[in-house]
Amino acid sequence: MALAEKPLYYLSIHEAQQLIKDRKLSPVELTQSVLDRIAAVDGKLHAYINLMADSAMSAARAAETEIQHGHWRGPMHGIPIAVKDQLDVEGAPARIRQFTKGVGDAAAVRKLRDAGAVMLGKLHMSSLPDAELPLPRNPWNTDHITGGSSTGSGAAVAGGLCLGSLGEDTAGSIRNPSAFCGLAGLKGTYGRVSRYGLAPLSWSLDHCGPMARVVEDLAHMLNAIAGYDPKDPTSSSMPVADYTGALRDDVRGMVIGVPRDYIDECAPRTDPVVLKLVAEAVEGLRSLGARVEDVRVPTLHLATIANAVIYYNEFWAAHKSDAAGVLKTGAPQRRARIYLGLLTGSADYIQAQRIRGRCRAELAEIFERVDCLALPNQAGPAPRVKDVGAIDTLFKHVVPEYHGPFNLTGLPTLSVPCGFSPNDLPIALQLVAKPFDEVTVLRAGYTYQQHMKWYERRPPI
Amino acid sequence: MNKLIEENLLAVLKREGLQPRLGDLAQFSEIIELYMENLKQLHSVNLGADEFAPVFRPEWKS
Repeated sequence: MALAEKPLYYLSIHEAQQLIKDRKLSPVELTQSVLDRIAAVDGKLHAYINLMADSAMSAARAAETEIQHGHWRGPMHGIPIAVKDQLDVEGAPARIRQFTKGVGDAAAVRKLRDAGAVMLGKLHMSSLPDAELPLPRNPWNTDHITGGSSTGSGAAVAGGLCLGSLGEDTAGSIRNPSAFCGLAGLKGTYGRVSRYGLAPLSWSLDHCGPMARVVEDLAHMLNAIAGYDPKDPTSSSMPVADYTGALRDDVRGMVIGVPRDYIDECAPRTDPVVLKLVAEAVEGLRSLGARVEDVRVPTLHLATIANAVIYYNEFWAAHKSDAAGVLKTGAPQRRARIYLGLLTGSADYIQAQRIRGRCRAELAEIFERVDCLALPNQAGPAPRVKDVGAIDTLFKHVVPEYHGPFNLTGLPTLSVPCGFSPNDLPIALQLVAKPFDEVTVLRAGYTYQQHMKWYERRPPI
Repeated sequence: MNKLIEENLLAVLKREGLQPRLGDLAQFSEIIELYMENLKQLHSVNLGADEFAPVFRPEWKS
């Protein structure tokens, strides 16, 4: 689609940054366009829980002045973004905390601000204590959910209510809404992005990462937020790559592994349209020059329940001091996690950690032969709002599925659209690489995206 | 809910000075039972005595 035909609020970060850099687009004009879009459609999508329009316009004006004076900070300068509630923002601590204080700006938020991004506000997430807040709706069909727990991020990015968002992923919470809403989403390697200022769900499984409409936008955002942070002892000092530069290469010669036996394990709970579109996507990668081979990860079938055991134990530990308050006023999902954590013994937790070690070892061996794994990213298209109960997500977390294994093993994982269901809801491919090899999943996802161009379709909202 | 699981849950809640919210045990019985059932699978694999986790390393960061 030509830029002239595209509303400003639907520009990709990559398109907008070039126009801003060339002074053909003002950050003020862009931010106003997005705020107008929010005013027009957020009454239907319910993505924002705290819109910071005044401070966003101030930041946009400041960006414009800096750029006019020749000080362009980089690709995120003047780009309107919004973040999942779970991340603290100065003056707007995560509501999900309920009983603990925020830290001001979370590290990833601060890095985006330092890169010149314009902060539009906070977005809805699953299991907020505010039961009266309406649930975000999927821009592709507002009768359907966005997927969680980065619910508002999914709705806002897909609907043109921001150009990119930060989400958080403990058991699929970036990849699930990215898949349901037709977005690109990246859960980087555990430790790639600082979690300082992220309200904890599970210390060893939580990942902060970007959600956007195209893969190159994820690369721009990751360039801004990746890297060691002394305030987060789990953040890594491994070198940070040039993620946008890595997109210049394609998938020729890349070896892609398909964990066939694991897909078969999950198949009875997976919509056939997902299996068909993912198989076609893998063939697409093969046609673009990748070599595809089946791989077997023997312990992967235990990875989802191991992830759940660690999740609920660490959730309980993180909330032991305020558990009475959570049980009294918390959302059903949070209350259920407290009960499940309490029911799990130390031997279970340690066994889950041992399975984590076994899965890591098995995957490390496989990644000596392959560059990335390709598999589905969801069990089906986004379900209808009326068909989803408050704790349905928890059922997904305790039977083998596609997300938890890569929180457990901390591997970088990309969600990229790979087609649409017969009722026009997005379906996504999941790509996984070895630790700190975000470059490979971004490169594979970008090559596939440019071949299929699913991103050219727009939701009807 | 399975009586043994319910008694166990109520006991650990009591030990922690907590009590379940009214209606929660009924509302969550299905997920709790499924979780406890799947928890058993975790121990179905024999990892052998030579696989340790979590690993303790005594060295300090230089």
